Amino acid sequence: MGASKPFRQQLRLLPVVPAVLLLLLFLAAPVLWSFHASFTNAALTGRNARNPAWTGLDNYERLLTDSAFPASVLLTVVFVVASAIVGQNLLGLLIAGLMTRARKPVSAVVGTAVVAAWVLPEIVAAFAAYAYFSKDGTLNQLLAGAGWSGADWLYAFPMVAVVLANIWRGTAFSMLVYRAALADVPQDISEAALMDGASGWQRLVFVTLPLIRSSIATNLMLVTLQTLAVFTLIWVMTAGGPSNTSTTLPVLAYQEAFKFGDIGYGTAIASMLIVLGLVFGIAYVRLLKGDKR
Amino acid sequence: MHRPAKILMALLSAAVLLATSACSPEQPAAENRVLKIVYQKTDSFTALDTLFKDAKKEFEAANQGTTVELQPIEANDDDYGTKLALALRSTETAPDVFYEDTFKVRSDVDAGYLLKLDSYLEKWEDWKTYNEAAKAAGTGDDGGIYAVPLGTDTRGIWYNKKVLQKAGIAVPWQPRNWDEILDAARKMKAADPSVVPFNMYAGKASGEGTVMQSFYELLYGTDSELYDQQEKKWVVGSQGFTDSLAFLKTLYDEKLAVTPAEALDANVWKKVFGEWLPQGKMGAVVEGSYSPSFWQKGGSYEWDGYTEDMGVARFPTQRGQEPGGVSMSGGWTLAVGADSAHPDQAFQFLTTALNKKNSLAFTVASSQIAVRSDVAAEPEYLAANPFVKDVSELVSVTHYRPATADYPRISSAVQVATEAVITGALSPEAAAEQYDKTIRDQVGDAKVLQK
Amino acid sequence: MTTTERTARQAAGGRLTPPKRRPRSTPADAALLLIGACFLLPLLWLVLASLDTNAGYQTRLPEDPSLTNFAAVLTPELLLRPLWNSLLLSAGTAAVTLLAAVLAAYPLSRFQSRFNRPFLYSILCGTCLPITAIMVPVYGLFVQLRLLDSMPSTVLFMAATALPMAIWMTKNFMDTVPLSLEEAAWMDGASGLTALRTVVLPLMRQGLGVVFIFVFIQTWGNFFVPFILLLSPSKQPASVSIFSFFGQHGAIAYGQLAAFSILYSLPVLVLYVLVARGAGGSFALSGAMKG
Repeated sequence: MGASKPFRQQLRLLPVVPAVLLLLLFLAAPVLWSFHASFTNAALTGRNARNPAWTGLDNYERLLTDSAFPASVLLTVVFVVASAIVGQNLLGLLIAGLMTRARKPVSAVVGTAVVAAWVLPEIVAAFAAYAYFSKDGTLNQLLAGAGWSGADWLYAFPMVAVVLANIWRGTAFSMLVYRAALADVPQDISEAALMDGASGWQRLVFVTLPLIRSSIATNLMLVTLQTLAVFTLIWVMTAGGPSNTSTTLPVLAYQEAFKFGDIGYGTAIASMLIVLGLVFGIAYVRLLKGDKR
Repeated sequence: MHRPAKILMALLSAAVLLATSACSPEQPAAENRVLKIVYQKTDSFTALDTLFKDAKKEFEAANQGTTVELQPIEANDDDYGTKLALALRSTETAPDVFYEDTFKVRSDVDAGYLLKLDSYLEKWEDWKTYNEAAKAAGTGDDGGIYAVPLGTDTRGIWYNKKVLQKAGIAVPWQPRNWDEILDAARKMKAADPSVVPFNMYAGKASGEGTVMQSFYELLYGTDSELYDQQEKKWVVGSQGFTDSLAFLKTLYDEKLAVTPAEALDANVWKKVFGEWLPQGKMGAVVEGSYSPSFWQKGGSYEWDGYTEDMGVARFPTQRGQEPGGVSMSGGWTLAVGADSAHPDQAFQFLTTALNKKNSLAFTVASSQIAVRSDVAAEPEYLAANPFVKDVSELVSVTHYRPATADYPRISSAVQVATEAVITGALSPEAAAEQYDKTIRDQVGDAKVLQK
Repeated sequence: MTTTERTARQAAGGRLTPPKRRPRSTPADAALLLIGACFLLPLLWLVLASLDTNAGYQTRLPEDPSLTNFAAVLTPELLLRPLWNSLLLSAGTAAVTLLAAVLAAYPLSRFQSRFNRPFLYSILCGTCLPITAIMVPVYGLFVQLRLLDSMPSTVLFMAATALPMAIWMTKNFMDTVPLSLEEAAWMDGASGLTALRTVVLPLMRQGLGVVFIFVFIQTWGNFFVPFILLLSPSKQPASVSIFSFFGQHGAIAYGQLAAFSILYSLPVLVLYVLVARGAGGSFALSGAMKG
């Protein structure tokens, strides 16, 4: 090759530059600006619009006294745990597991149905879910057919509706991850366990799951982070209502920043969202470190 | 050494791509001025688009060397406001003339976005034809005028005559106090339980609609008020506030309005205009004077029968006390950007857009109430729909929102209070207390007046 | 088939011997079909409502099925031009993202360094941020750089927001291609990037398709970014027009909105089918998520 070794080593990292440039300019810089704005009283209108002043930790103190914020954090955690960690994750695993046992045509058809909900643009999925959970929507139609009376889901149980809608929309991702992971599981170990007398359940928990442990952790991390950012689905279905009962952090940040024009406060909320993401992220990284090669 | 060269080429092309997209077309030569006009346009609201297209033709013909660039924003009110606010933040993107909601005028003046128009208005002949209330609509805190209204609106009770007659209520109907409203509503319910007798919006989902078309009609009809103009402070602890909440609670508890679940759907107004009133499933609703714009030809919910079936009544005061009626007015204005590079031409364009001919066409197409006395006298305006006279009379008892920078939060707190009482979450007293506490938290004790 | 190719094919998930047949279980079939039906139900409503001029929220067969709803929304301003804009934005973003991601993933995947993992995890944390949170500074940035109302600049921005996930996925796909193949190519005198282009990328074709469609789908559905960064109505994509259609007519004209939704979703569905077929009929994320 001819070039000196250190030069070649530096050059090796060169391909990263375009991505890093894009990330720095369009992602890192705005995030830093937002973080800085959370320490000011920046606003879209009013006296502080053109000349925001530094207010230090005022916005963050307000977070603690504002009753909407802790409620929103709780709702966000509930949303993430219920729809991503439990819902999408387990359902995806279940579907992938069933697919290893089912006939190929059935697997193909069901796989397509599950993925269709994921491929659909978010607003179409949100609208379809809105229609489904409406008082005169399909869910109540089904329940009536079974003899039960349905509730007005979007009004009485908004979190249930958005959680189920998010599970419907995002399970495909987990399903694909687990399908790939399960396909790599060597069948001989599982069959050896079968011959030793282990039941299906025991085989699952003690043989299969440990083998795909890193996939589980990775999948959990990815679906958690993606679910934390969900905005359009909730906004279209319930707009965070009624009475803020489905206002997760992204919805709250949007309301504060754009409905009230309070950029400072809105970005403070967004910063807290990132902190929440970091908390989840660090937990998963610890989990992953467990069996790094 | 192929590798480094290739990498360098890739980086160079990326840089070139960025640079070419960054270079916007050069500003036209000094002789050719460009005026940027920003306004809202939606499927159902195209009257403004037509207005500006006509004004553009007129203006460019009369002013060679100036080009008018129309930039409609196709979005709902909230998103339009967001995009406009973003554009106003910097001089490069701030428009020269734009469509501004009256209730944002004061806070945008505070932000330094609007040009003070007093000196221009003095020299504009047509300004003399504007009525006093209209002149107040665009006034800033310092008394200067920063925006010119396109029209205004009022609110009143829109009732379906057939539904009332079926219940034995005489039309034309004019309730004189709150109790008479409840009586009539109960009669309608007894006559036909499937009908929604008297609807008033409530809750956060209907946004400003909840306060402008519902709560304020109640509050401003009591002896209390929302904002003390003298002291410039928000009023808390007033009896009128609690009474108004109690009225809404009664209405919803006795099922005289829609169900709470329906009220909390942001789309409920569409059903009111598109389904319930035309189909005789609703007795009355408190709504704005712009209602005919939905039913007339070309509107979103065309309904030929509205001229015969509908009637308008004034919303009464609590006990029928003076002035006997309540209405709220809002409306939109045209403003000139404070950073406009060509303020004189911008104002010229504004006057072209608001000249008598264009004003008349716009007012009729969007069922606005005329703010120019010459337009108000035009036969075309008076004949636009049978209700023009009725709704225009409501201007005499109308109120405007105290549109300061804090107002959006106050409005939101009121909406939250109404939502709490109609869902039964809080009693009117408790909801009023919660409102008081929220206001104190949001604007600080210094801006609050206990009554 | 050379030895290299055979090893490569094996590494990419193909087998040299057919897999042992598992007993096919009917309860599994039944359970899957039930789940599949649940997933299809809301979509079924969408399809039926679009054919029904009197659509409500209930799933029912239209009394008088017709294509009136489709005809009503198939106008150039409402649908055709926005769809074209969506196509430009989404394809452009996916292409730029893929290019940058492949370039970035190569050193991360091939050259061990202690910066790799922290770098990956820190950019991955970026995916939890809802983009609405940074639109105000992004707008300000675009104003200062004079990039407003420009499709290419909007493409670059959306590519930047899609990069974290894209780099992660691409790197993991790349990890499944054994280094030994490139070493063989280097031995033959090829440079690093040539090896990337001629050896690694062809074996990752499935993975590249997955990343492309992932970014394409995200961009296709993105409403807020183009709404804020593009000013001319003629440049707005379909996500913006369907959002305002939903706001205007959502509560009344369910059928039209359903028809609009289907037409709006068709391109993405078609693309998915094409990519999935190209990936051997099964859209698996083999090796993408090993962590």
